[in-house]
Amino acid sequence: MIDCLEFRRRAGAEPFAVDAEMEAHRRECAACARHQDELRAMDGVIRRALAVEPPVRSAAAPARAGRGRLYAIAASLVAGIAVGFALLVAVPRASIAREVISHVGHEPGALLQTVPLALVDIAAVLGQDGMRLDPAVGDVTYAARCVFDGRVVPHLVVQTAEGPVTVLVLRHREVGKPMRIQDERFEGMVLPAPRGSIAVVGHNVRDIGGVAERVVAAVDWGA
Amino acid sequence: MNRGDGETERRRRFGALCESLRPDLLRFAWWLARDRGLAEDVVQESLLRAWKSFDSLKDEGKARAWLLTIVRRELARSFERKRPELADIDALAAAESALLAAPEDGRVEEMRSAIFRLEAGYREPLVLQVLLGYSTQEIAEIMGMQQGAVLTRLFRARQRLRQRLGLTPDPP
Repeated sequence: MIDCLEFRRRAGAEPFAVDAEMEAHRRECAACARHQDELRAMDGVIRRALAVEPPVRSAAAPARAGRGRLYAIAASLVAGIAVGFALLVAVPRASIAREVISHVGHEPGALLQTVPLALVDIAAVLGQDGMRLDPAVGDVTYAARCVFDGRVVPHLVVQTAEGPVTVLVLRHREVGKPMRIQDERFEGMVLPAPRGSIAVVGHNVRDIGGVAERVVAAVDWGA
Repeated sequence: MNRGDGETERRRRFGALCESLRPDLLRFAWWLARDRGLAEDVVQESLLRAWKSFDSLKDEGKARAWLLTIVRRELARSFERKRPELADIDALAAAESALLAAPEDGRVEEMRSAIFRLEAGYREPLVLQVLLGYSTQEIAEIMGMQQGAVLTRLFRARQRLRQRLGLTPDPP
């Protein structure tokens, strides 16, 4: 059994970390549980604070002296590549994939939650949009309303038979057809939905396409 | 596939990586450098270096970590060349006020300012963990440190932020 000091050291380094020792201490110590909850909430603010618009040098600011040539070569190379790329791929598709992966990556602890939430907690997140989720699809162990693409969207973690998956309900983003997304840590799908789209992302999930389809089918969009 | 097609494909793949990862690289470089111009220079030069050694990247799924490592090396080289005098943090903050101003609630703006003023050794792992979603093991690999040292820095980073924002201090 770890003590309060050790718990707070671990929580201070990784607020979303979940392990048996920490869970046991949380159950025994309300003050430490509250402290970890505060740290998790603070991480939400930190994340929003860090997510500045990518900085772009103002037109008036000169390039640094003595590095002009290298900069010019790099700039022209990158600009050329960027133009070529823009002609070759559909940028909006890359954009939604990037945003979804980025959002999931920002909340790594969410995927580690294992305690099923009460139906009332899930309803508090989905009900604001008049939605419900068929419990048969799996236990929901995380439910929050998150800022995504400037909108507040439901963010769930569902424990499916194939493993935990993150579900983002993107009522404001329409996609024409299913889109596979992947990076070094996550793989997922963005599927068209009756209203907007739904992103389903997991880690080492064998049939992410099938899981995503079952999740979409489990959403009741209300009247 | 002939040589020309191979080169075109190589450019296309690198272009795709630049397109998708450049915003993260710029944010990372800005949070480390706290200077828009320097961040842009560093990212541009990093992409040039990355292009030259693109063939060494065996797994494109690991491209982001690979590029972040190049960016932090390039930034270190830049600091070595520049040998900056002690930074005037208020002047830096004033110069970067456009990015520091949050178009949202004051809590976020206050936090952004507190992070901006955090020591580099604490700011970097926090950016890698919270903004870019890396595990402490991955951060240790990117920063070339032991995982235990990363955990300590992350703990102290949050401790300092809580103190600067006037939140309940952690126990000693």
